[in-house]
Amino acid sequence: MTKEQAVKRIKTLIGPEEIVYWFFRALLIFASVMMLFPAFNPGRISLKISQYASLFTTGIDFAGITGNLGRAFNLGWVQKGSFILLTASAILIIIGTIACAVGGCMSLGNRKMRMLGLWFPMGGSLFMLIGLGGIYLAYRQVAETEYASRIEPNFSNGFYVYAVVSLLILIIATALRLALRGKEAEEKMRMDERYSLFLMFLPIIALAFVFAYLPLWGWRYAFFDYTVGGTLSRETFVGFKWFRFLFQNSATMNDIARVMRNTLVMSGLGLLTSWLPMTFAIMLNEIRSNRFKRFVQTFTTIPNFISWVLIYAIALAIFSTDGFLNGLINMLPFGPESQVNWLMNPDYTWIKMLLWGTWKGVGWSAIIYIAAIAGIDPQLYEAATIDGAGRFGRIWHIIIPSLLPTYFVLLLMSIAGILSNGMEQYLVFSNALNRGSIEVLDLYVYNIGITDGRIPLSTVVGMAKSLVSVALLFIANRTSKALRGENII
Amino acid sequence: MENEVTLKIKNTVPPAFRRGKGDLLFDVINVSLFALFSLVCIFPFYYLFINTISDNDLVGKGLVNFYPIGVNISNYLALRDVSDLGKSFIVTIGRTILGTALMVAASGMAGYLVTKRKLWHRSLWYRFLVITMYFNAGLIPWYLNMVMLGLTNNFWAYIIPGVIAPYNIILVKTYIESIPKELEESAIMDGAGTLMIFRKIIWPLSKPILATIAIFGAVGNWNSFQDSLILMQSSPELYTLQHRLYVYLKSASNLEAIMQGGSGVSQALTNSLNSKVVKYTISMASIMPILLVYPFMQRFFVKGIMLGAVKG
Repeated sequence: MTKEQAVKRIKTLIGPEEIVYWFFRALLIFASVMMLFPAFNPGRISLKISQYASLFTTGIDFAGITGNLGRAFNLGWVQKGSFILLTASAILIIIGTIACAVGGCMSLGNRKMRMLGLWFPMGGSLFMLIGLGGIYLAYRQVAETEYASRIEPNFSNGFYVYAVVSLLILIIATALRLALRGKEAEEKMRMDERYSLFLMFLPIIALAFVFAYLPLWGWRYAFFDYTVGGTLSRETFVGFKWFRFLFQNSATMNDIARVMRNTLVMSGLGLLTSWLPMTFAIMLNEIRSNRFKRFVQTFTTIPNFISWVLIYAIALAIFSTDGFLNGLINMLPFGPESQVNWLMNPDYTWIKMLLWGTWKGVGWSAIIYIAAIAGIDPQLYEAATIDGAGRFGRIWHIIIPSLLPTYFVLLLMSIAGILSNGMEQYLVFSNALNRGSIEVLDLYVYNIGITDGRIPLSTVVGMAKSLVSVALLFIANRTSKALRGENII
Repeated sequence: MENEVTLKIKNTVPPAFRRGKGDLLFDVINVSLFALFSLVCIFPFYYLFINTISDNDLVGKGLVNFYPIGVNISNYLALRDVSDLGKSFIVTIGRTILGTALMVAASGMAGYLVTKRKLWHRSLWYRFLVITMYFNAGLIPWYLNMVMLGLTNNFWAYIIPGVIAPYNIILVKTYIESIPKELEESAIMDGAGTLMIFRKIIWPLSKPILATIAIFGAVGNWNSFQDSLILMQSSPELYTLQHRLYVYLKSASNLEAIMQGGSGVSQALTNSLNSKVVKYTISMASIMPILLVYPFMQRFFVKGIMLGAVKG
């Protein structure tokens, strides 16, 4: 970049027009995001509407919004029309917001495109204001019905936020349009490739934000006395109560100790047997018939693609009281003493889980080692043979050393994931008898959070798990860097 | 490129070395162990299958162990009468097709875009995506987030979150980076835009990797259980197949009653059902699609897993 270009760039970046534009874009992004937040929903005109409904939900899910109002409609407490008006208004606001977002995207183009692009927020904010008017009307209708107390009319704070935001958008867009009027513009609309590529990428960023980053906002539940359907407010704020509870309540403490023991034992067993796939690959490599190799690979990778539920179904077929194994024992000459339910039996749960995991995964995990063996330079084998190495010499001096880096990376990754056993396997195999030894951390969070509805406590446990996992990952990465000079993430 | 890798594997015959008696013994033990383990891997499926096509009375007595007796397919025909099962099938097929298609399209486009050096703050956005693989807020915040977004008891909860698959985006990106840059450059010279280049050059050339992630995505969708379990608590009609099966397997309810009820007397007479057979049959019907696409999947294994080893 020459000096002139640089100066020009800086001028365009920090010119007054640009400053206003950056503020404007931030506002438009806020307007788009707030559509998804129930806290900003101006359309919660009745407390019968779920507190989880965002404006977006209000617009697209009439049945869901009015789910609690069926009785009110039937008994004529309130006109259905009011809620149709509400939904229509919400749709108007959504359309308006989308128009604003389009304008925001166009603001990344050249001046010609910007000038056209300003019409969208201007129109969009008008739509939003009209929609707000509609919501206000709907609210009046609901509030003025005879049985208002049964509908519990509600005037949401989101209404004011929306009013301010849409007015601001309208004012800024109009002001920008007036300021740009008469200024010279390009012949054609254009956008710098940097920005057009960014806009194409934007939906992906947005989705990742909504589904991977937005949940972090849910960590706030750890600081409240909260049950599903409850509210977060100053009254329910409890600070670090649940964090202390975790260590002070002896029942919970025992649970945690038990769950941690299970988690660490299962992960530990996994680490202890982590050499199995490598051995599998090395041994398979020693087989000379390619057809037999392919045959083995085909059959041993199948279980990896079967869900844990189906594996449980298989376990049921083989190990339950009337399953294959008992059937086989029945056929033996010395006769059955009693039928054993191998599946429900709580003995050796850890080992059984390890075996199921190995059965499902070993063939699949071996593939990466098989491919690594295939990548070994044949000259190495020749050299080893000349030096008099037999089969085991080759394995020991050539194959294993060339597989160790891969093994090392995978081992570090599994150490980093030591707290994350996943819950599916343990959920499907758990029963009343083995619960004590099968409940791993992930399953525990599910059990107390979803099944028992103890949201704050399970959030605390989940938070701790996430933070420890990230710390472990960093340590693993550091270790890798120190020992091998390579990052693993 | 993928062919090279597979070919290499196929042709890895260990070079000759001195063989002794010990080696022969080793070979025998080695082959036997692998044969045994392969059998252990495949037999349960075979066992399940022969029990679903055999005479149900014998199955009930546990007499069908190694080969089918009294072959018939009436159990599979009776599945039509388990009404909830049909719904779950439709839901699962729907999410498999739609979810996979959207995921592949998004991963293709995203993978391509992150290879473009001109993308505004490219490395920042790329990291933004990659971090999500290693860090998550936890199950409960995720669940509450889905509640907040209105994605509970809603079919779209299966589809929308799955569109972004960071791991697959990395796979596609790595693959596209191996495509010669000249192809793209010449297209730019001819005046093609980004979307045009993506459609006419990148998409066709990266079909192998797209097929790979499609297969894995489809299997993942077919096997999906956890999201259904957590998000569809009050919508049994939206249960996925695995969730439905889980309910059947765990409940002691009289499944056979459901099946007998609709299937008429004649059938009940010819092949009386019992809960064991019903569970087996439903399980087998859920496994079958995986086993059927399995031969097609196999050739994508190595490539998928090898590319995955290349970190982003």
